Amino acid sequence: MSSYAYLFKYIIIGDTGTSCLLLQFTDHRFLHSHDLTIGVEFGARIVPVDNKNIKLQIWDTAGQESFRSITRSYYRGAVGALLVYDITRRDTFEHVATWLEDVRKHSNTETTIILIGNKCDLEAKRSVSREEGEKFASDNGLYFIETSAKTASNVDDAFIQTAQDIYEKVQEGVLVVNGEPSGVKLGPSQPGVSSMPDVSQINGYGCC
Amino acid sequence: MADPAAHVIAGFANVSLSSLHWSHTSDACIHPEQAGLCATANGSLAQTAAAGTDAVGLEAASSRSSGQSNGSDDPAVQKFHAALSMPNIDIAQLQKLSWKGIPGKYRSTAWRLLMGYLPLNASRRGPTLLRKRREYDDWVSQTFARGEESLDRALWHQIRIDVPRTTAGSPLFQAPRVQRSLERVLYCWAARHPASGYVQGINDLLTPFFYVFLEPHLPPLPGGAAHSHPELAAAAIDTLDGAQVSAVEADSFWCLTKLLDGIQDNYTHAQPGIQRQIVKMKELVARIDSSLAAHLDTEGVEFIQFAFRWMNCLLMREVNLESTVRMWDTYLAEPDGFSSFHIYVCAAFLLKWSKELAQLDFQQIMFFLQQPPTASWSAKDVELLLSEAYMYKCLYHNAPSHYTSSAVAKR
Repeated sequence: MSSYAYLFKYIIIGDTGTSCLLLQFTDHRFLHSHDLTIGVEFGARIVPVDNKNIKLQIWDTAGQESFRSITRSYYRGAVGALLVYDITRRDTFEHVATWLEDVRKHSNTETTIILIGNKCDLEAKRSVSREEGEKFASDNGLYFIETSAKTASNVDDAFIQTAQDIYEKVQEGVLVVNGEPSGVKLGPSQPGVSSMPDVSQINGYGCC
Repeated sequence: MADPAAHVIAGFANVSLSSLHWSHTSDACIHPEQAGLCATANGSLAQTAAAGTDAVGLEAASSRSSGQSNGSDDPAVQKFHAALSMPNIDIAQLQKLSWKGIPGKYRSTAWRLLMGYLPLNASRRGPTLLRKRREYDDWVSQTFARGEESLDRALWHQIRIDVPRTTAGSPLFQAPRVQRSLERVLYCWAARHPASGYVQGINDLLTPFFYVFLEPHLPPLPGGAAHSHPELAAAAIDTLDGAQVSAVEADSFWCLTKLLDGIQDNYTHAQPGIQRQIVKMKELVARIDSSLAAHLDTEGVEFIQFAFRWMNCLLMREVNLESTVRMWDTYLAEPDGFSSFHIYVCAAFLLKWSKELAQLDFQQIMFFLQQPPTASWSAKDVELLLSEAYMYKCLYHNAPSHYTSSAVAKR
């Protein structure tokens, strides 16, 4: 149940909505009035990718500028970055470029980044079109998805799509497992679990 | 006068100047059993131009002690009573008493004295309060005179969305009236402190002051129960008049300002104060419990990952408001309580779970420390934590690390 082939480290950044997205993903819950995130919050969940279990360990970072120097230190170890804006608040979309610059500067070059337009349940209040989001993402080589942390729409997809891309990078050797700083780690060796032995043999992991 | 509190009150009424903000009458008269006291205080007030015995807040406090004759059976209450009755407060004595916890009815007064907001000299209290409250009110009037459009938009927006999420579980802090007060305090403070500005978490630090200063003004509850729970206080907030709320707001502003003056570099760029505190806490934990420190290290847990919030919000997210208030009794009585002593409290807080943590891996540790099992904590638990912290402080405060046995053993 808790065995997994790989562990990927994620960060969630952006002005707003990061905590709701994480809570929906890890706990399938939505809170209208979520506690303010101070610094960072941690979450985790196992998702299936290519018939393997992948554990995602996720740092949800506080949106306030004051915490930026603290939250930046979490960028380096991440192989997945979810960059969130609110489709009903144009200012949060306008800040996406700054967030992207920040994450590019402080994370690994191979970090997979997905741009997320959250609150897609509030179509009537939309102030950033889907096309604008898509264009920004494609211009900057990012994945793109619109989600609703409230209805859970596309929330799992946002995390899993990112995990698939990272998984492919691992398979292609673009990302080094257990490298330094390691945003990708092997799961614990699980004798008797059929999908695991080849992995542990390749890396000598679990041999005493 | 049979009731020693009444004497104190009358004394304060005489020495305090009138506070324009203050409607004393409604405050003192809410307790029928204290009618005599009420009359005394009002009589004194009548001679002093207007209402204003609030100088130390004792009048409300004494009237709370229904049926217990000023709670004089309790030696702690007696000691506080005597200490606060002196024309010149002995601050060292007040600190010593407060360290062990302040009885609810003296807390508002004691906190304001310990913060250095109320003068120790009784005769200066009234004028000082009057001046400070007026100064704050003028500041608010000027700041908000030209409507919301004239405010710093980003700052105001941030405060407006944060205040409803502040102590969100408490109906008291969900009351619109209280929220408007918190917004004004936070905005005014931030506007006056551009070096740090408003940093999330400062909103949390405001709530104990507001709660403690408001409490004496709330009407009594059926059966004489104290307003020891924010939930009970919520229903009562609407019974207060505007002057009472604005006095609480002004006092909260000034005390928050004083608190933050002492920990300013927790909130300036890159939050160097917090970074330093975390380094010290880590060193301390390593010296006290090297196996826990080693386990955290092996699991890849970094102190900043869990202790950042402990420093940024002074552990307020980890314990309930009642517990925080009790902790602050001691913090206010300790030299550098909110900066230096807090590190020992955080270390003691972590060490409390040493056995549990030793069994957990990285992920489990993070989840555990993100939501430590403190939901059922009472004053007793807080007091034990404070005692442990004090013990660590005594053992390690002036002891350089190379003198410790564990450090020697490693060499």
